[in-house]
Amino acid sequence: MLSECFIASTLASAKTPASASLRDVGICLHELQPSATLRSTFKKSSTTPNCLAVSASHIFAAQSEKATVHVYSREKGNQEATVPFHERIRSIAVAGRNNGDIVVLGTEGGRLILWEVCTGRQIVTTASHLRPVAAVAVDPTSNFILSGSSDATIHVWSLVDLLSFTKSPVGRESQPQNSPIRTFSNHRAAVTAIALGHSTGRYNIAVSAAQDNTAIVWDYRTGHVLRNFLLPANAVSLTLDPVDRACYVGYEDGSLQSVDFYKDQSVQHPLHDPSLQTTPAQIPAEDRWLPPSADSGVAHTLTLSHDGMVLLSGHENGKVYSWNVGRRKYASTVADFTHPVTNIIMEPLSGLYQQAASSKRVLHTVIKPRFDHSISEKPQFAGTIPADYEFNTHILAAETFSGSDWFMEAFSNASFPTSMLEQGLAELATMGQPTSAAAATPSMSVAMDIDNPAKDSQIADLESEIATLKQKVSVSQTARQATTEEVTKLRSDLANLHDYINELQEKQEQTQREKIRREARKEERAALRREAWFAAEKKGRNGDAVLRQLELEEGSETSGTDDQSSDE
Amino acid sequence: MAHLLISLRAVNHRLTSLPVQQLPAIAASLAGSISGCGELLSTPQSQKSGKTDSDHSVQVHKLVTRITSLIQDRTLEGRWAAVVLIKALVEAGQWEILRGIEPFVRGLMSILNKPDPTSTKTMAVITLTRLFHLTYQYPTLVREITTPSLPGFITSTLNLISVKPASDPTRRLKPNSPFLEVVLRAYLELIARHPTIFRPFTAQIHSVLQAIVGSNSALYSQPVVDISEQLFIALHHCAPKNTGGEEWKNACRMTITSIHATADHVLRAVVEQWESADPSLRQQLGHAIDYGREVGTHGTDALGLAEWQGLDTGVDRLLVLLRMLSTFLKTATATTVSIPVGSILDLTARLMSVTIPSDGGGVQANSSISRTEREHLLAELPCIHAACMRLLRTLVNTLETAALPIAQTILEQTLWVFRAEKFNKKIRSSVYDLIHVLISHIGPSMTKKNVSSLTDIIRTSCTDILPQDTETSIRDSSDVKGKSKANSNAINADSFLSPNLKQGRQSASVASSTKFPKLARAASTLLPAILTNLPTEYLAPPLRAEIDRTIIMTSSKEAMYASVLNPFPAARGRGANIGIVPFLARSYASEIDVEALIRPRMPVLMTTNAIGQYVPADDDEEQEEEVTVDPVSASQTLPETTRFLQQSTTPNLQDLVDSGSGAAKKATTTTTTSLNKRTYTEEPPPQPTLSSITPETNSGEVHVKKARVESAVSTAPVISTTTVQANSVKDDTSMLDAGAWSSPGTVVVEQSSTITHVQAAQPSMEEDDSDDEMPTLNIEPDTDEEYDE
Repeated sequence: MLSECFIASTLASAKTPASASLRDVGICLHELQPSATLRSTFKKSSTTPNCLAVSASHIFAAQSEKATVHVYSREKGNQEATVPFHERIRSIAVAGRNNGDIVVLGTEGGRLILWEVCTGRQIVTTASHLRPVAAVAVDPTSNFILSGSSDATIHVWSLVDLLSFTKSPVGRESQPQNSPIRTFSNHRAAVTAIALGHSTGRYNIAVSAAQDNTAIVWDYRTGHVLRNFLLPANAVSLTLDPVDRACYVGYEDGSLQSVDFYKDQSVQHPLHDPSLQTTPAQIPAEDRWLPPSADSGVAHTLTLSHDGMVLLSGHENGKVYSWNVGRRKYASTVADFTHPVTNIIMEPLSGLYQQAASSKRVLHTVIKPRFDHSISEKPQFAGTIPADYEFNTHILAAETFSGSDWFMEAFSNASFPTSMLEQGLAELATMGQPTSAAAATPSMSVAMDIDNPAKDSQIADLESEIATLKQKVSVSQTARQATTEEVTKLRSDLANLHDYINELQEKQEQTQREKIRREARKEERAALRREAWFAAEKKGRNGDAVLRQLELEEGSETSGTDDQSSDE
Repeated sequence: MAHLLISLRAVNHRLTSLPVQQLPAIAASLAGSISGCGELLSTPQSQKSGKTDSDHSVQVHKLVTRITSLIQDRTLEGRWAAVVLIKALVEAGQWEILRGIEPFVRGLMSILNKPDPTSTKTMAVITLTRLFHLTYQYPTLVREITTPSLPGFITSTLNLISVKPASDPTRRLKPNSPFLEVVLRAYLELIARHPTIFRPFTAQIHSVLQAIVGSNSALYSQPVVDISEQLFIALHHCAPKNTGGEEWKNACRMTITSIHATADHVLRAVVEQWESADPSLRQQLGHAIDYGREVGTHGTDALGLAEWQGLDTGVDRLLVLLRMLSTFLKTATATTVSIPVGSILDLTARLMSVTIPSDGGGVQANSSISRTEREHLLAELPCIHAACMRLLRTLVNTLETAALPIAQTILEQTLWVFRAEKFNKKIRSSVYDLIHVLISHIGPSMTKKNVSSLTDIIRTSCTDILPQDTETSIRDSSDVKGKSKANSNAINADSFLSPNLKQGRQSASVASSTKFPKLARAASTLLPAILTNLPTEYLAPPLRAEIDRTIIMTSSKEAMYASVLNPFPAARGRGANIGIVPFLARSYASEIDVEALIRPRMPVLMTTNAIGQYVPADDDEEQEEEVTVDPVSASQTLPETTRFLQQSTTPNLQDLVDSGSGAAKKATTTTTTSLNKRTYTEEPPPQPTLSSITPETNSGEVHVKKARVESAVSTAPVISTTTVQANSVKDDTSMLDAGAWSSPGTVVVEQSSTITHVQAAQPSMEEDDSDDEMPTLNIEPDTDEEYDE
């Protein structure tokens, strides 16, 4: 079932709780939804604000007025260890997205202590703050730590730089080791709370509140101020919307207020609009959300529900109020822990379907910190990792096999996969026959069992067939050759015939021409004869005689011409 | 439930009426029907009510009885079908069926000892494993079924894959057993749940696994070896109460020792510079190696693996052990274990410090070993290094945030190897994968030096995604020009014949990168990770341009997003950024996330100058350092800075000059225009501008005095302009500026004086004006010429 819980811690006070279940209790796991009930409790703890940190497996509570941190195991539900430190711890945070492998502690002396809970390694930074570290926060990439102090400064530290065995080759020789990479000093009074945006990208924001009645939104990767908000009172606690649209501040009189980043309708992101960055925004005092009773006391801590619509605040009078973010007013009292509620941390939703695969390993017991000698005492081994550096954890999930996994497919499905069944069927078909003789299906055996003689005969058949086919091919080939020859011959004949025809035609033409010429000559001669005859008749001679004479002459001529023509 | 009853009755009818030999063919469909009847089968008897009550239980009982008889059937087909149906029945029936499962278990166990086909036995092993798996959540069923029958199951399956000689606690593997993989997988599933039952068999299983892992020839397939390694590690579950973690740690330490011992022999051809951080290990590895014999070990090593001979086998052994070590880091453990992170990094430091020598230096050769062996070793080194990087990647993946302390060390080790062996594709793809994982943890806080150390890797990854077209084309053209006559044979004649080939080269080159899909994939997943995680202001602009170009060419959406969402920060005066948003919009116009980016429903984070206005402090410091160190280099860098500053601050300059007398205004405008022109065209202005102005300003009478005044005044305005322009530059810088500028100033004087000689006849103007204007007019062109030379 989907449920949402929060963890609240209290500061011990003189009051005695009404209910027996809350006696001696310092930290409570309380259900918010579906029903507001107390789930479990951890005893003997007294924490000031910013002194509670929660990881998936443990709860770390820095004790007020003592230099110890109580470690509670969530798995076992008891106090696992009391870890002593040299200085009082004033703030605490956990780095590491899922597992919370590194605990960051801000001390009274202005140092940070980094404690690797799985290895026991401990790293102490320089005392860069002049006053106690009031708030620490780790960014979503687990790369930067922001520490705010009563000396009005906020330092940005590189987690990687602090932890690395090999110091990165940067020209920071001038600065001492384990010092901050950037300092933000826009606040004029003690820093009370720091909240970080939810982006892992490069435009993530930090919001810090200080006792100078301001809340400043800035870019912790550059140190650039994005927006100044002038608050009506001193902000004590701070939390940021899940979408980074607004932040909520809690005041000393128990009232709350939302600081809306998107108030103005503008295309440009209001936080990144350079025209607005220089002018501080005044937050009107009358917009405050008033608590139900005047004796609520300081709103020590704020947290938002998963959907960002319910705001929880922990108050000095021991009550946890729930506020309706949409209507901007008090909604109900969720719990009453009698002692001042100093920290509330919202747990991630439990009961979502995809949650199971999130964690790769789990930490059962923390390794108490020991001072890391390798860094300070052995300069010759400065860059190397000591051989006894061991990481204690319980590895949970075996990494899934790459590629297709036939075993798991067969193992966890409702029935065997088809491929496996088919393979089995094939195997049964091949090897099943000899043993179960009688009932064997005949149709299959024919295909499988082919005895040798049959095979031989078949081969012989095939060979003979091949031979005949070859013969046929050769025959058809020769036939084709013959036909082609014939065709060529016919073609040549045809060509010859064409030539002949042409010749004949020429001859015919010639003879025709000859004939025409001869006729013409004949006509000519006839005309001559007639003329001669007429001439002879005119002369009085016998025309016939002349004609005869002419014929005789012509007879020789014509025979001559005939010969000639025939010769031609 | 009526329809369920009908289908169940149909199943029963077919099961009983059809001859057994035909059952396998319909087994799949029967199993499907049974799975469908899950609701009916899993309903407890007591809850059934009404008339059909008896009919239900009758049908279920009938089915169970029939399957029970089938599993004991004489025929292979019957048993085969029974195994398939049991699996379906158990999955569907849950507890109702599980409680009566004992006959099934007995039947399945007997199959393992019968001469059944491989598939029947394989499925029987899987079904039995599943049965034990399912009963695990019911303690009574575990007591009644699993506990009595699991030892028998282990014995039978061990007999399937191995032979146990009498009077010997160990076992010998059967060669080529088809059941090896399935049996080992079954053990792996069961061992964590029933460690106490497996405990008596640990020695036998261990001996089997040793034989597989330590086999010197490629007898076993990769999956089998993988499973063996996992099972080998999982054996620590069987350790007596509370010693599981100790057992695991011992096994892990022994593996590391074994790798060191193997490496002693494998790497004997070179002299190692490495020294262990662990004093005990330093002692342990001190013993001498016999250089006279062939490389190899004698006797079993720390893990009990067999001896090996020959470099190839040695390298194989090394790879198997490295893989086993990474399997240690990702296999589920019984309790809390302590991962020896220090020793693992010590080991990788050793293996990765031996790299292929470059021209300059590299590893020192061991003179007592032959050159052939050394060369053989060098050829095998990339494989070893790739395995090391896989190990490191697994380590980082397991530790996640807790890997921050060691990330820097890993990064350095990776860079050693990459520098020496980047020619190898395997190395490249392993480096990309490892860097990808690393920067996703430490990327945001990386320093500028660290980022620049990655430059080479980023460049190579770009090349691996898109082979450099320019290079090939240049080489081609030079080939054609220079050598066409000399050796025409060597030229690819096809490129002359078909012009299409050249056009198609680009696509062909893209295709060639797909020949190594692993490499291309590793490279193309690295690029978005780099843009997303590294501080983009530390990426050099040319490198960023190359990345963007590659991203555009591949048009991978993820990479385009990474580029668009992490733009190069706009520096002062460099103008607006040109992102690759248009390419993204064109390529994926209809995608929902592109829509969200282009037409957001939330206010925009514009990447204007304002966001990126912050210029890293390092830059300024470096410039200062340069200036103080070397005046010559300063004088070289300064024109650049002033030039790009002038573009944005021209108005300032104008104001400055305007403060002079009103008569100067005309000349001033010409100055600014000429300056503007020069900034845009980036060329020294032509001489005419100089000569056209000088006539107005110079008087022919006082040449010498004029020149002196110029030299005195010429420096002053320039200093003031630079100080005004570069607001952030500190005072000492401007002082040095003056020093750097003074020498060009004198040059101006000489030149302008020569010009005034020529144009001495020109009418003069008032002296005051000329004093103000002259330097600004002349000094820029002249100095430019000076630097151009």
